[in-house]
Amino acid sequence: MKKVKKSDINKLKDYFWEIPMSFREDMKVPARVLAVKSLLDDIIEDRSLNQLVNVATLPGIQKASLVMPDVHEGYGFPIGGVAATRYPDGVISPGGIGYDINCGVRLLTSILKIDDVRDKIEELSKEMYAQIPSGMGKGGDIILTEEQMNQVLTKGAEWAIDNGYGIQEDLAYIENKGRLIEADPSMVSEMAKKRGTDQLGTIGSGNHFVEVDYVDEIYNEDIAKAYGLEKGQLVVLIHTGSRGLGHQVATDNIRVMMNAMAKYDIKLKDRELACVPFNSKEGQNYFKAMCAAANYAWCNREVISWEVRKAWKTIFGESGGHLKLLYDIAHNIAKIETYNINGKEQKVIVHRKGATRAFGPGFEALPEAYRQVGQPVIIPGSMGTCSYVLAGTEKSKDITFGSCCHGAGRRLSRTAAKKQVNAPVLKETLKEQGIYVEAGSFKGIAEEAPIAYKDVNLVVETVHASSVAQKVAKLKPVAVIKG
Amino acid sequence: MKIKYLPHTADIRMSIEGETLQNLFKAGVKGMANLLKENTCELTHKFNSKTRIKTCSLDYTNLLIDFLSDVLTYTYTNKTIYCKINILSLEKYKIVADVFGIETNDFDEEIKAVTYHEAEVIKNKNNLWETCIIFDI
Repeated sequence: MKKVKKSDINKLKDYFWEIPMSFREDMKVPARVLAVKSLLDDIIEDRSLNQLVNVATLPGIQKASLVMPDVHEGYGFPIGGVAATRYPDGVISPGGIGYDINCGVRLLTSILKIDDVRDKIEELSKEMYAQIPSGMGKGGDIILTEEQMNQVLTKGAEWAIDNGYGIQEDLAYIENKGRLIEADPSMVSEMAKKRGTDQLGTIGSGNHFVEVDYVDEIYNEDIAKAYGLEKGQLVVLIHTGSRGLGHQVATDNIRVMMNAMAKYDIKLKDRELACVPFNSKEGQNYFKAMCAAANYAWCNREVISWEVRKAWKTIFGESGGHLKLLYDIAHNIAKIETYNINGKEQKVIVHRKGATRAFGPGFEALPEAYRQVGQPVIIPGSMGTCSYVLAGTEKSKDITFGSCCHGAGRRLSRTAAKKQVNAPVLKETLKEQGIYVEAGSFKGIAEEAPIAYKDVNLVVETVHASSVAQKVAKLKPVAVIKG
Repeated sequence: MKIKYLPHTADIRMSIEGETLQNLFKAGVKGMANLLKENTCELTHKFNSKTRIKTCSLDYTNLLIDFLSDVLTYTYTNKTIYCKINILSLEKYKIVADVFGIETNDFDEEIKAVTYHEAEVIKNKNNLWETCIIFDI
């Protein structure tokens, strides 16, 4: 298969590039890249653009296959990919959502300022590490019965609240209020449920984390005020997903689709893009299971917030105040949404794999306080650098099916990072900079070192300059909890 | 039997080779176990867990990936690293095998999935079975 070269890419606008349909005869739509020129030079190095071209061949795909500026090579779909297929007969592809269904981020805000509590941060990081189970395959304290598991899969974050692990007021600040109503627990295999039995309230490993940050800079005072953000304020960022349960749902359904594709006469360049029509039996079964796994992830992040709140109270007592949920958003998910495509309002199945929904002002499902300013978009950077809070825009609907980047995006392999980084030294260096890292292993620290990631500032500059989202605030880390 | 780990931006790319199809499956299990916990299999001579796995698929590529996915599922549900495989039958495109492992709560790597991406079980010019496997981590 020929590799995408620079000469194959046309410039549409500053920050927007296109591989035309003429690149490969099986492309049904062009493939588009949102990136500044210097990021594009990096992106072209790995196989992500070839993967993007493969996505452009999916049956029923509309307008263009897209990648965000934090794109990197994945398997099947690139990470940072967005694809919308025609509803209801276009395909749904689990590979376009990822194995970690509803991997996502949430941000909690506090009443504390970094300058008032800097001397307590190390203690806080240790307490959080003690409260939040993290690491490879680690289970938590909650062991779900079969009935409880079905409730979690049906009710999502609400289950945590009903059972004393969450706060009612959080619900309004979670995408879809933390619950996809299409979820059907009977579509989730017993093995998947077994894997999820003891993992509620756990972050796992890899790039998942809980991080304490402070607001370093405000770019838009009005939106920051609506979001309840102010300079110097301490906030908590949580990044994790549906854990082993979601991984198993994806594995189970990709296998089913692999066997069903011939029935629907679907032939693909990459097996990992396995897909079936959304309205087929297999498509519906997967969608219902995916929604259930998404609910598990929202419940998981709600339970982790409860653990964070406990640690917060232990260290700061009543003077620490209440940690308020700013927003919780998925970046590995499929949603049914409506867009104007070729002058016609059309329902599509939007796949976001490492991409965040970024809806603008006026979106009715937003909490009232955010309706005038747009949906919060939370962009974690790497430990030791910075993260961002952005606001979605109306324009994102025209450019990227209402989507935005989801992080900094990897640039170095884990092996390369381990070779280049001395983890104990990095941990000490970060500590000298006032960033306390608590991790299960030095290997985990090395793999997730800042050097392994693209420059998050460039990624965010791209989405800001292209008006897909606008910058609201920059966050800087002071404590990082990793698996 | 050869196992090599190759660069990949975010995940793990493993290349395996075997004189027979059976050996390719053995290399897959061993290579995955080594990722889950380095050197555990080399240091373990007595296994305390045995699971029978039956898998059938569309072709040998899918069979290998599906089989390793099944091993991975049992790895997490039984909290066991499977090192040794005794293939009871391997035919077009079905496998029945007993896998033997050591129970543990301590993994080096959390593998989310064994993916089909880039996998292709073929006989190479040296008459050896080979494939590449990408693990989502």
